[in-house]
Formats: sequence, structure tokens, C-alpha cells
Amino acid sequence: MQVHLTGRMKAWIEAMGCHLCVATPEGVPSVVLGRYAEVRGDDEVAFALAADEVGVIAPVIAENPRVAFGVSRQGGIRAAYQFKGAGEILRSGDLFDAVAAQAKEEKGIDAAAVLHVRLTELYCTKPGYEAGQRLDGMTPDELNTWERQRWKDVPRKRD
Amino acid sequence: MVKFTKEMKEALRVPGKGGSLIYLCTSSRDGKPNIAAMRFVATHMDDKILIADMFLLKTKANIKENPNVAVTICHPLDEGRWWVFRGKAVDMEYGFPRDFDWYGANATDILNEWGNWNKAEPPDEVPPDIVFPKAVQRGVVVVHVEEVYSIKPGHTGEKIL
Repeated sequence: MQVHLTGRMKAWIEAMGCHLCVATPEGVPSVVLGRYAEVRGDDEVAFALAADEVGVIAPVIAENPRVAFGVSRQGGIRAAYQFKGAGEILRSGDLFDAVAAQAKEEKGIDAAAVLHVRLTELYCTKPGYEAGQRLDGMTPDELNTWERQRWKDVPRKRD
Repeated sequence: MVKFTKEMKEALRVPGKGGSLIYLCTSSRDGKPNIAAMRFVATHMDDKILIADMFLLKTKANIKENPNVAVTICHPLDEGRWWVFRGKAVDMEYGFPRDFDWYGANATDILNEWGNWNKAEPPDEVPPDIVFPKAVQRGVVVVHVEEVYSIKPGHTGEKIL
């Protein structure tokens, strides 16, 4: 399946940041905040992480790259999605430089690393009969139509 | 041994009562993580978090094969609620033996008090385009918290309790 983030999903991810969940190969989950998020394409999101944040998840991702995330703050209810994919910790390179610079400018974050997630799964988490529905099988047009029938609100970016 | 603070107990309630929307993080036994927002939340004793089992799918499957979970505050975040609660969970479903015990939490007590949560604490604050038309509760997830760490920026990973 291929993930195609909609414009509204991208707006919520970037406006609110995300809660990032990882797990050891034995299944012990950890969570940190991805306060600065940058959507890099229809199926890629990069998060700038400070030293303390990357210190929690880097050892886990080194053993198990799988990442699940949901939108933080009001996005937990308004952006009713769960995103899953494979994460890579970047500490240098063009992508690191670009995301770290923007995170510093927009949120004052001193990024020690960037978590780059390539998305492979997308789920609806709206409470009720649609909870758990997979959305990554839809074409971009189908997904946009599906979403517009439910929600249209787009948040302003936080300081 | 964990003992929730007053602030934690106030935060771990339904949003309509000044509490929080939370994220429940689970994992399959082979390490595939899952994160889902939950509205029906409460504390029990000094070290248990209760969450309604209404629409759980992957979360439920994960808990059945792997009890390790993490609970954190999704919203609001700007009121000092920078916590991650780590522990072991069970989904106390209807039909559990009445004397079933999970680290001191009794199934009969839990289901008697929290088994009809939608009626006790209806989701009046949930927006109409999100709220569910009919809530059907199948049980209560009981998280026995074993440690609490911080996700406050600059302090992520520091052990609090």
C-alpha cells in the first residue's frame, strides 16, 4: 500500500507536531514529542528532535525502526488518524541541515537529530464504526473526497 | 512503587471534567507500535489508570499478546502535564471471573463502577463531527503503572516516579 497524505493531514501534522511511539523488539513502547514536524512529500515526515528526545528513541530505533505517530494537542481528536512507517535517525546531511535550521527558526529547537519517517500505513481513528479503517489503499482523489465529506478544518500553525 | 500526584490524578480524568485526552501506546509482541487517542480515562487506587474499551481494535489485540503499554497526555500539553506512564495493562472485559485481580485491582469493582462509562460521563465536550453515535462498552483497560518519565522539552526521559 502507498500512503498519500492529504493537504489537511499535512497541515495538522505541521501545526501541532506529533506524539511519536516506538517499541523495542520485545514490545516495550516509548513515546516522545515531535514538536517540530515537516512534511517532505506525500509519504514522508521529518521531525526535529532535541538531544533529550532523541536520547530516548535512538537506541530503540537502532534495533527496531518501526514508528507510529498521532497528531498532538487538539489534533488527537480533530485529526483522527494514525500514521505508521519506518524511521531513520539522521544526525547530518542535507535533510538534517534543512529541518534543523527550520526547527530552530520556527520553534527555537536545537535539533540533535532528525527522525525521518517513510510512511507505509495510514488509519482512521475516529471513534465508532470507522475506527481502525485503513486508508492507505485509497487513491489521492478518493482519500481527499473521503476526508472532505467528514472534515474541512485546518489549524493555524503554532508559534 | 508509583504513587500518583494530585496533579496527575486531576489530569487523568475525562476532558469534560478538567482532565485530558490521552494517547495509549501499545505494541505487538514483536515490536510493532500503535498509538491511539482515548477520551474515557480515570485513575484507580494510587497507581492504576483506567481506560474504557469501546472501540479498541489493534490496541486490544496488542494488550492480549503483550501487556506493556505507555500512556501520555495528548491534550492539553501546556499545563505541565508532561508525563509518560509506563506499565502493564489488561482489558477487563465482561465475563472475566469476578475475583480476577490485576495488581490489586478487582474485576468486579472495576466493572461495577466503570462498566457503563458513557452514561456516567457522557462525551458532551466532544465535537459533533467526531462524537460516536452509540457507545458500546466491552470492558475497561486497567494499566498498572510501574514508572513515570518526563516528556517536558529539555527533560525528556527523566524518571519522575
